[in-house]
Amino acid sequence: MERPFKSTVFYNTLALSFFVLTNLAYGSDDAALSTDTTFWLWNFMGRLHPLMVHLPISFLLLAALLELLTRKNFESSLRPGINTLVFVGATSAVVAALLGWQLSNQEDNIGDSFTVHQWTGNITAIVGSITAILLYRIQKNKQVRLVKSYRLILFLSTLGVSVAGHYGASLTHGEDYLTSTLPWSNDYVKANNFNLTSVRGDSALSLAQQQELIIQVKGIFAHNCYKCHSSQKVKGELRLDQKHMALKGGEDGLIIIPGKPEESEIMRRLTLPRNDEESMPPKGKTLQKQEIELLSYWIARGAPWPDSAGQTTGFRIAKLEPRNPPLPAASSSAFTNPVDLWVNEYFIQNKITWPEVVNDRIFLRRIYLDIIGILPTPEEQEKFVSDQRTDKRSLWIKDLLNRNDDYAMHWLSFWNDALRNDYTGTGYITNGRFNITDWLYKSLQTNKPYNQFVKELISPTKESKGFIEGIRWRGVVNSSQTTQMQAAQNVSQVFLGLNLKCASCHNSFISDWKLEDAYAFANIFSDSTLEINRCDKPTGKMASTKILWEELGNIDSKANRTEKLKQLSEFLTKPENGRLYRTMVNRMWAQLLGRGLVEPVDAMDNEPWSQDLLDWTATYFTEHHYDLKELIYLITTSKTYQLPSTGVSDANNIGSADFKFAGRLRKRISAEQFSDALSGILIPVFPDSIIKYNPFGKLKFDQSNQLFARASLVANDQFLTALGRPNRETVSTGRDSQANLLQALELTNGEKFNRVLTKGAGYWKEKYPESDGLVNALFSKALGREPDKKELEVARQMLGDTPDVDAIADLFWSVLLLPEFQIVY
Amino acid sequence: MNTNWDRREFLKKTSLATVAALAAASPMAGLISCDSKKITSTADTVILLWMAGGMAHTETFDPKKFTPFEKGMESNSVLSTFKAVPTILDGINFSEGLDSIGNVMNRGTLIRSYVAADLGHILHSRHQYHWHTCYEPPQSVSAPHLGAWIAKELGPLNPVIPAFIDIGQRFTVGEGEELKAFHTAGFLGNEYGPFMIPDPSSGLESVRPPVGMSVKRFESRNKLYHDLISQRPHGEFGSDYQKESLKRSMEQAYILLNSPEAKAFDLSQEPKEIYDKYNTGRFGLGCLMARRLTEQGARFISVTTEYEPFKGWDTHENGNTRLKDMKKQIDGPIAQLILDLERTGKLDRTLVILASEFSRDMMVEGRPGLKVLEQVDQPNVIQEMKHYGMHRHFTDGCSVLMFGGGVKKGNVYGKTADERPCKTIEKPIKIDQIHQTIYHALGIDPETNYIIEERPFYTTPDGKGKAELELLG
Repeated sequence: MERPFKSTVFYNTLALSFFVLTNLAYGSDDAALSTDTTFWLWNFMGRLHPLMVHLPISFLLLAALLELLTRKNFESSLRPGINTLVFVGATSAVVAALLGWQLSNQEDNIGDSFTVHQWTGNITAIVGSITAILLYRIQKNKQVRLVKSYRLILFLSTLGVSVAGHYGASLTHGEDYLTSTLPWSNDYVKANNFNLTSVRGDSALSLAQQQELIIQVKGIFAHNCYKCHSSQKVKGELRLDQKHMALKGGEDGLIIIPGKPEESEIMRRLTLPRNDEESMPPKGKTLQKQEIELLSYWIARGAPWPDSAGQTTGFRIAKLEPRNPPLPAASSSAFTNPVDLWVNEYFIQNKITWPEVVNDRIFLRRIYLDIIGILPTPEEQEKFVSDQRTDKRSLWIKDLLNRNDDYAMHWLSFWNDALRNDYTGTGYITNGRFNITDWLYKSLQTNKPYNQFVKELISPTKESKGFIEGIRWRGVVNSSQTTQMQAAQNVSQVFLGLNLKCASCHNSFISDWKLEDAYAFANIFSDSTLEINRCDKPTGKMASTKILWEELGNIDSKANRTEKLKQLSEFLTKPENGRLYRTMVNRMWAQLLGRGLVEPVDAMDNEPWSQDLLDWTATYFTEHHYDLKELIYLITTSKTYQLPSTGVSDANNIGSADFKFAGRLRKRISAEQFSDALSGILIPVFPDSIIKYNPFGKLKFDQSNQLFARASLVANDQFLTALGRPNRETVSTGRDSQANLLQALELTNGEKFNRVLTKGAGYWKEKYPESDGLVNALFSKALGREPDKKELEVARQMLGDTPDVDAIADLFWSVLLLPEFQIVY
Repeated sequence: MNTNWDRREFLKKTSLATVAALAAASPMAGLISCDSKKITSTADTVILLWMAGGMAHTETFDPKKFTPFEKGMESNSVLSTFKAVPTILDGINFSEGLDSIGNVMNRGTLIRSYVAADLGHILHSRHQYHWHTCYEPPQSVSAPHLGAWIAKELGPLNPVIPAFIDIGQRFTVGEGEELKAFHTAGFLGNEYGPFMIPDPSSGLESVRPPVGMSVKRFESRNKLYHDLISQRPHGEFGSDYQKESLKRSMEQAYILLNSPEAKAFDLSQEPKEIYDKYNTGRFGLGCLMARRLTEQGARFISVTTEYEPFKGWDTHENGNTRLKDMKKQIDGPIAQLILDLERTGKLDRTLVILASEFSRDMMVEGRPGLKVLEQVDQPNVIQEMKHYGMHRHFTDGCSVLMFGGGVKKGNVYGKTADERPCKTIEKPIKIDQIHQTIYHALGIDPETNYIIEERPFYTTPDGKGKAELELLG
């Protein structure tokens, strides 16, 4: 027995050193050596791992059991048998570990189970070898004092072998293999119900039905197959995440035979008995009956997989770089504004004739509400109408843009929505949120260049840090909602028109963005390296540090957060980042014309109705000092902006891809515009005392200079909420134009509105003792026109000759709720 | 889910990404779930009785061994500070002071094994957010309240009664902003948001012409409005949805404020002896209003004891003393509500649920085995009455009651341990199961979802919640 002992120990030690060294050299996570570069024998050996592991398990356990039975008598008659068990067990543990290492090179294994399995396996191999060494020394040198240590270590190695075995089984059979059969397990009954009723039918599938179907099919693939058959991991040379790859099949050929589910390999594999080696998915749960039915139906109908023209993935991707298309030649001298030249081209293509531009009254109301958010006074209207200058429209736009405070107080609401900034809200209670109003107001008031504006939000000072700091709730939050991830999501949504919310939990099903991309981007906002979590479960992989578009520049992953943010802010705002400026131009277009060139405004990969117009304007914007007012000027002085408004009967049609632009889309007056109009016409809606941010010091209401507490300066309340001011817990880039019952109730019997009406009526009664004068004044202030004969009659009938406060209040109410007042046209 | 042809037509012409993305602006019914299995509803109306602030199960519906107050007693020896009293159900006791509810338990189900989420740091508003939306805050999109989902899926039962009514919560209290964050329809749109009645005794003010305005004047104002609209050239703004929705909702508001149903909000119409039975305070009157609204066809009503930090059920001290008062507030009105609904035949189709964001315990903060930061102070030895009570927040075993609307009668579900920690030991049930059970009773598909910002957002996270059918008859 002496010789085998010695050689066992020798070879074990040799193998172990090799094993430990290679493990150290490759690290535990970098196991992704691709199979095709590996010699076949190693692959074969690797696959012997699941076979080999049973040896140490049984040998060491049996050895321990016998050792236990003979604990009183070390030199029992069973000794030689036990010795053999220990030596073979230890050797096989080392061999199993080596083979396991070989196997891990063939398969991408990440996750907790794998890590635990790998390390307990390694430790077992080492501990097993130590057991063997101890036993050898006891036998060889008669060192009886080592018996206790030997036995202890032997039991430890059985423990190790059990744990490693359990996690190994979890890897091959799925973590819930055992527990899912228990009645109290969550998986005991399956809940997902797919169904086909929405698409099933005998007639040919419409494109819409095909799309609906493929979304469901891709959902099934994503949840059950992507783990091993997508860009992340490609087993059997099969990828199911992209059309051409899925239809091309894997290493054994086609898996989908359109029209013939019964001949399609994928269906065979999915429906094999669970114990068949070829059954798919190999680990975890099988597909549900409905899911299999759906796939089968999809294949039977020819496996339709519609995609957008030219895009292999089905997801349109907008170009990053800026583009400056040459302006079309002017077909007539009527077009001096480049925006009009582009729209003219668009109109010709779409056979739309230019309508006449709107009259002075409508134009003035429009630019006031759009640029400074308040209504023109009757005096201003009169002045404008009587202005004889041929370029008066441009001149007045310029004047409005120069009303810096009015401009800032109006655009403050837009940016507060987008930057999730408010005076009250969650997070403040525990110092988990920071207000940026002062910085924001001043930035707007001084018309800070947009590139600088973005830089200061991304690489912030104390005053502007609120945006990327996000909202920190007390307690544990989902890993896709850490403040770093919030920053990544919000920066990409607001500045880049990109939805990263899917990809911050798992690889996106709606774009090509991957979990790793989202984490790499979020990592820039983090002090320490983030661990990648998939669906809120740690993967053990650490995030890299990258901008979503690496061509913009490389972030130094070793730099501290401040430095990383500085680099990010520089890279993102480069003029080469066309996306940043297109996104802003598109938002501005949506604000001024009721609908973006691209819709939704947060999905800039969608197709604009005029790519040239978008690209050209974005370049113009960067070439004109990133000046937002310049951009507004360019758009509002165009004939295009001055076309009569258009409407849609269903809000869902606004974003439709066959939308045709023919003039700005009407929209509902905003909560702030409505309140400010009330304040201007009647009495201030908000007392100065409740102002949350005061840019002027002591505000005093003064009818003559229109100075009153603007709604953008006060905290949200029931009235503003009902009218559509969002609670700014999340980024919000558009307001709902649809009226609803709760809002109507607020406007019908809401305390605040009725108080303003009654008080305002008292004030007006003094000012306009006579009915006619009062009606005329109201129409002129609210609607910018005189009442027509019939309107005057109706109003007069209601007011009598000398109106009382109640009647005046009721007239106010009736006029202020007219669609003509409520809609910006 | 309604798949209408408008949407299909529109789908036809848009790219995959656009289709999904579009819904960012206006959510539409999701593409993944469908209406294969039509669930037969057993309820039309839901009344949620909200015990705000954390109701200790061992002091209410799941009493343990009673230890009377004694100076120098060990905190750890106290499991309940009230006697256990038998209910109408064999072998089931309630804590003293809930006798009336105990007497109607043969009409409902007692759940003793609700396990609240583990959100780390115990924060009431966060756990309430989770209970009401089924999502843990924060979320990257604004998650809708349970009531908003129901309002969206089923609409109002009676067109003039708002589908989602919330009675008794003011936002002017501490953590008001956190409360607002879930009292919302979120991405479903304001239309489905809560109609707030902070004080039921002045509920009528919310649904009648403005204060100081006679009905006659209200009528004439409305007439003037319509006269002025009709003066404008016909077809101005065509059939713009803004104009149409404005006209329609103004009309609805007018109808509601003028309707006989609005009287349901007027508690003074109630006979005095009935009114008195409910009048234990704002919560009791809220129950009365809920009953009156249910009779007129309400869809979802929440009545809360009102959350205000350190008030109501949020007992950080004087637990025993204060719970006597809380029980007085809820016991009579809740039992009366059940009996009244039964008498009018409404109970069969009205699901009444009583719940709280979590429970309380004298020793364990959060959940056994997990160390929670900032525990409520509790001396090991009790010297004063103010330390006699359940003052720490406990998530691992809470009681929920359900009545009517298809719920099993005289049923007890789940169990907690009789010794500390008095945690759930049988049939743990979680919030997504509770929500799905409610949806199931209402006939709402478990996979109801909307595509919001290009991805499906389900009633329960990932659409995975399952109704606990064992609760339903």
